[in-house]
Amino acid sequence: MNEIRFTLNGKEVAYAGSATDRLLDVLRNEYRCTSVKCGCKEGECGACSVLIDGTLLNSCCVAMGAVEGASVVTMEGFRETKRFAALDKAFGELSAVQCGFCIPGMVLAAEALLSRNPHPSEDEIREGLSGNLCRCTGYNAIVNAVNNAAKEGNGLW
Amino acid sequence: MVNGYIATSLQEALEIRASHDVVPYAGGTDLMVENRQGVEYLFLNKVSELKKITADDEYVRIGAAVTFTEALANANVPQLMKEAVSRIAAPAIRNAGTFGGNLGNGSAKADSVLIEFVSDAKLRLVSKKGERMVDVDKFYLGRKKLDLGSDELIAEVLLPKKGLEQYSYEKVGGRNALAISRVSFAGVFAAENGRITNAAAAFGAVADTVLRYKDIETTLIGKTIDEAKAMKEDYLKAYAERMVLTRGRVSAEYRKNVCMNLLRDFLTKFGI
Ligand SMILES: Cc1cc2nc3c(=O)[nH]c(=O)nc-3n(C[C@H](O)[C@H](O)[C@H](O)COP(=O)(O)OP(=O)(O)OC[C@H]3O[C@@H](n4cnc5c(N)ncnc54)[C@H](O)[C@@H]3O)c2cc1C
Ligand code: FES
Ligand code: FES
Repeated sequence: MNEIRFTLNGKEVAYAGSATDRLLDVLRNEYRCTSVKCGCKEGECGACSVLIDGTLLNSCCVAMGAVEGASVVTMEGFRETKRFAALDKAFGELSAVQCGFCIPGMVLAAEALLSRNPHPSEDEIREGLSGNLCRCTGYNAIVNAVNNAAKEGNGLW
Repeated sequence: MVNGYIATSLQEALEIRASHDVVPYAGGTDLMVENRQGVEYLFLNKVSELKKITADDEYVRIGAAVTFTEALANANVPQLMKEAVSRIAAPAIRNAGTFGGNLGNGSAKADSVLIEFVSDAKLRLVSKKGERMVDVDKFYLGRKKLDLGSDELIAEVLLPKKGLEQYSYEKVGGRNALAISRVSFAGVFAAENGRITNAAAAFGAVADTVLRYKDIETTLIGKTIDEAKAMKEDYLKAYAERMVLTRGRVSAEYRKNVCMNLLRDFLTKFGI
C-alpha cells in the first residue's frame, strides 16, 4: 500500500492512514506533537499553525494527502533552533505568555514573518500575526516581543 | 494512498477526474472546514500547469492552483485583484487558498470572484476531451451551482490586462482579519475623450451569486461626466429597484443601504 511520506521536524515519516485525515489530528494523535493546538478546526484561530516547506499554514485546514513530499515543522522541531531561542527570550522578557495556548502558533507565525521580512514595522507584525487569536494577552506584549526578537536576533533572520 | 490521488501533471489529474468520483482539492481551506465524509480527494497542489501566472497581449492568466500569497507577489496581477486578495483573511489562509478553490466553492462571498465578475474575466475549463472558455458570470448557475462537468477542472482565470486601472474596492466585514465579507463592492471605470466607456459595478456576499446589472451600466456608456451627473439619482434608483438581497445574519435592508452607498461613492470618486 502507498503511504504518505513526508518529513516531520527533519525526520522522515510515513503515514498509512487516510489522505483525507486532518494534519492537525495526525500530528497530535499519531506523532504526539501536542504543541499543535486545536482551537476551532475552522481556520479561524491559528492555534494549529505549522510551517510546511517554510510557509505558515493552519494544520486544521490541511489534508494528509497534501503533505506528501513536504517538510512539516512544528514547535517540537522549531524549539531546537537559534531563532526559537531569540523569540523565547523576547516572549519571556516581555511576559508575552499567559495561558500559553496560542503561543506555539504565535511563535511559528512570527518565524514565518521574520524569515520573509527580518525588520517588520509594528503594522507588519500585527498583520503577520493577524490569523492567530489570543484570549489572554491583549496582543501588545506579543507584538512587542516579536519586535524585540527581530532587533536582538539581528542576523538570525 | 487511502482515499486520495496525487496528480503530478494536468493530464494525470484529468485522467483521474474522468475515471473516479473525486473531489478536487487545492488549498483545502474550504474543504477541510466543510469536512465532507466518505469522499476521495484529487490533490492538485503538485500540478505545475495549474500553478503558473502568465500574461499575453490581452490577458493575465492565473492558474487555478495559484495561491493568494503567490498572486500578491506577481507583477502581472492587476492592482484591483491584489487589493481584494490582500484583504482575504490572514496570512495562513492566503498561503493556502487558491483562485480555483475560491471559484469552486460557488460562494457569492468569494473575494477574487467579485473582481472576476467586475472585470469580465473568462475561465478556462479543461477535461480529457478538451477545453472550453466560459465567462465567469455564466459559470455561476445559482447558489453553489456551477457550470462544471464531473470530468472537468478549472484551469485558469483570464483577467483582462487593460482597463482595470481606475477602480473602487470596498469590503465591509465584521472584523478585520478572517471576516468573510458581509458586503463587498468592486467598480471599474473608464472614459475616453470625455465620454464614459465603462462603469462596471459588482456586489458580493449579498445574494446567491455576485450581482452585476450590465443593462443598467449601459445607460452610462457614451455619456459625458456632466450628462452622467444629471442622471445619477435615476441611475441609483434603477439599481435600488433591481437589487434583491437574500436574508442573512445581517438585515437585508442594512446591506442594501450599504450597497447603494458604495455605488454612490464609486460614481462620486470618478466625478459623477
Ligand atoms: C478562516 C477563513 C477565512 C476565510 N476568509 C475568506 C475571505 O475573506 N474571502 C474569501 O473569498 N474566502 C475566504 N475564505 C474561504 C477560502 O479560503 C477561499 O474560498 C479559498 O479561495 C478556497 O481555496 P482552496 O484552494 O483552499 O479551496 P479548496 O478547499 O481546496 O476547494 C474549494 C472548492 O473548490 C473546488 N476546486 C478547487 N480547485 C478546483 C479546480 N481546479 N477545478 C475545479 N474545482 C476546484 C473543490 O473541489 C472545492 O469544492 C476563508 C476561509 C477560512 C477557513
Ligand atoms: S484549529 Fe486550526 S485555525 Fe483554529
Ligand atoms: S496566552 Fe492564552 S491564548 Fe494567548
